[in-house]
Order: sequence, then structure tokens, then C-alpha cells
Amino acid sequence: MPGLLVTIPLTVIAFSFAMIIAIILAMVQVADVPVLKQFARFYIWVIRGTPLLVQLYVVFFGLPSVGVRINAFPAAVLVFSINEGAYCAETMRAAIESVPAGQMEAGYCVGMNYYQIMTRIVLPQAFRTAFPPLFNSLIGMVKDTSLAANITVAEMFFATQRIAGRTYQFMALYLELAFIYLMFSTVLTRVQAWGEKRLNSYGGNKI
Amino acid sequence: MAMLEVKDLHKSFENTVVLDGVSLSVEKGDVVAILGPSGGGKTTFLRCINFLERADSGTFTFDGVTHDLAHIKNREISQIRKKTGFVFQNYNLFRNKTALQNVTEGLIVAHKVEKKKAEDIGMRMLEKVGMADKASNYPSQLSGGQQQRVAIARALSADPEIIYFDEPTSALDPELIGEVLSVMRNLAEEGMTMIVVTHEMDFAKNVSSRSIFMEHGHIVEEGESAAFFANPKMERTREFLRMEANRGI
Repeated sequence: MPGLLVTIPLTVIAFSFAMIIAIILAMVQVADVPVLKQFARFYIWVIRGTPLLVQLYVVFFGLPSVGVRINAFPAAVLVFSINEGAYCAETMRAAIESVPAGQMEAGYCVGMNYYQIMTRIVLPQAFRTAFPPLFNSLIGMVKDTSLAANITVAEMFFATQRIAGRTYQFMALYLELAFIYLMFSTVLTRVQAWGEKRLNSYGGNKI
Repeated sequence: MAMLEVKDLHKSFENTVVLDGVSLSVEKGDVVAILGPSGGGKTTFLRCINFLERADSGTFTFDGVTHDLAHIKNREISQIRKKTGFVFQNYNLFRNKTALQNVTEGLIVAHKVEKKKAEDIGMRMLEKVGMADKASNYPSQLSGGQQQRVAIARALSADPEIIYFDEPTSALDPELIGEVLSVMRNLAEEGMTMIVVTHEMDFAKNVSSRSIFMEHGHIVEEGESAAFFANPKMERTREFLRMEANRGI
């Protein structure tokens, strides 16, 4: 299954970038940074309000007409990062805001500054809360990468289409493809369960 | 000279005046109990002098330096906080840190104490509050009284000049109050300077050196605790103390 070697890197790279974007977008909102906060809201509004497939088309087929030419794989990484970043930013923001204000105050009272409290106290707790919904996003994204076939990225769906076109074994091949995606999600679900258990070492976010 | 002096502190939320010109002077070794009905401004006062709330006006003298409470800079705030401790009503232990880490976190991160040394200090503080055997437990594995004792150890860790207590026993089950009060009594006997907002009349009467009755954002009466309880001057104070005395009946 040659497409697997495209789907996996596409997912891993794009989701990593998405996490970075998400944390930055969430932080500028929580810290109430002027201008950047408005930018974050605008970004999230536009990206969540437009279809992923359209975004792929704009970047891959649209941008060349204004002189920006990006190869299929990097274009897909770009779009998936930007798209997933917007959704995960909302997850992160909600998780950070769910950490009680008293945690921040206690940090101030022992002499720590905002950045120290955020990185050492608030974000680790927020990450515990955000972990299940972030995994939701990741599992969703694995399947969404099949859309990249539309912009000629040779991932699993694209590869399957080509073989099916030659062999006419549509039912068998697409069922097999569905099965591979299912296996993917199953593994990730296991990883999620394991991760949650580890993050629960301090009793989760109880009192 | 007083180690801490607050003059004419004013604070409003929206249009509600919470503190209407409160002044207080604390000498080294004083244990000041602030009493009064809920909503009288006691907690807000404590939060204003540790800058968790920004006061509208007033001055704050600490260590011989006078600051304008409404315009104090973040750098000055963090300098002052490094010399004070704060104990919250609901403990506010860092939930992702063990008891020991709760005590050492500020030392290592804010005071730049070396980790090994911070842990030595941390264990000593936990011993002091009788929590050394729970050093590696997380807050969720501790009772309220135990959490509050760890919180006191945390407040003590950086060798503060004064510790503020904001109703430290109000969130505790009755049978857990004693263990926290006895830790606080020990601190008082060691000469720690403390301001304690509390509803524990026995603590105010027997442990604190001075008592203050605060209501509607004003200090109604203050005095040496013995005299304050034996012979309160204001009718309102007498009424409040009578009500508190009858609370359990």
C-alpha cells in the first residue's frame, strides 16, 4: 500500500503544525493580546466557515493564477495545518479557560510570573482536559487526508482510485481502503486510552 | 516602625463600594485577626494588599518603602510577593504537582533555588505542618485539612516576612479544622507575622494579638485581642460577637 507512506507523514506533519498554531491562537486569546486576539478570531471564523475541500482548491489550483505555485504535498500540509489549527485552537482555548483562576493566583502568590505559571501549571492541566477532544480531531484528520487526492497528492485514497481504475475491483478495493482507515483509527484510539491513563497520574483535574 | 502599613484603601466593584478607606498597621510578630460578617470586605482587603485585586486608591508601606496601591508596577508587586505568603480559603494547590512539588515550585522557579536545596527546604516545611509522609501525594489524594496544611507549607517555603490567611478553615469539614488551626497556632508562637481573615472566634481570642472588626468596608473597631473580646467598645461589635458565640446553638 504505497499511499500509506504519504498519508502517515501528511497526518503527522500537518497535525504537529496544527498544534503549534492552536496553542498560539489560544494563548493570544486567553492572554488578551490586542490586535493578535482579533486576528485569531478572524482566522478561526474564516477557516471554520469554509469547506476544507475548497481551501485545498484555493491553495493548489487558485494560488498559481496569482503567481504562487506550491507542490501538491506541501500544499496539502499547509491547508491541513491551517484548517486543523483553527479547530484545535478552540479546543485549547476552552481547556485553558477551564483551569480555575485560583491556580493562576496561587502561582502569583509564590512569586511566579505569568509565563512561568502558564507553562508549568496551567497548560499541563489544560492539556489533560484537551487531550480527548484533540485526539478526536486527529482521528478526524486521518480520514480527511483522503481529500488531498483531489489535488493529486498520492495518498491512500488516490492510490486506491488508480488501482481501481485499472482493475475495476471497486467494491473489494474501497472496502479494503475503508478497513485500513479503520485500523488506523483503532490504533489511535488505543494510544488515546494509554495517554489518558498516563495523564491521569495526578488524579486528573479533580480538586 | 511598622513593617506593613496600609493607608486609606478604597476599592469598588462596578458601583458597589467594598472598601471605604481602610487603614491598618502591622508590627513584626503581630498576629492580626480580621473578623466580620460575609460581604464586609475582609477578603477583598487581603486580596488588595497582595495585589490579586487592584485597589482604586491608597498607599501601602512594606519594608520601609511606600507604594501607591492604584499605580504600583508589576516588578514591584513581584518583589513584594516574594516576601509574603498567601493561604487561600480553598487551598488552590497546584493540581498537577505533588505536595512536595507544590512547596518547591515557587522556590525553584521564582526564587531560583537549586532543586536539591529546594527539596530539603520543602521536606522541612512539610514536616513542620505534619505532612512529610504525604510528600509524593497529589492534591486529589489528600483531605481538605491536609491540602490546607500543604498550602501553609507552600506559603512558608520562601521564608516570608508575613503570611496572609484568607478564611483558611471555612471550606473544611468541622473535624478537620483543628489540625489547620494548630499549625497556625504553632506559627504564631514561633513569632510569624500573620494577618488572618477568619470566623474562628476562639482562634482570634486566644492566638491573635490584635483583632479587627470590619463591616461595610470600614473598620468598626480594633484592639488588643484580650480587651477586644472582654470589653468591646462599639455596640455593633458586641452584637456581632454575641451572634458568633450563639452560632452553634
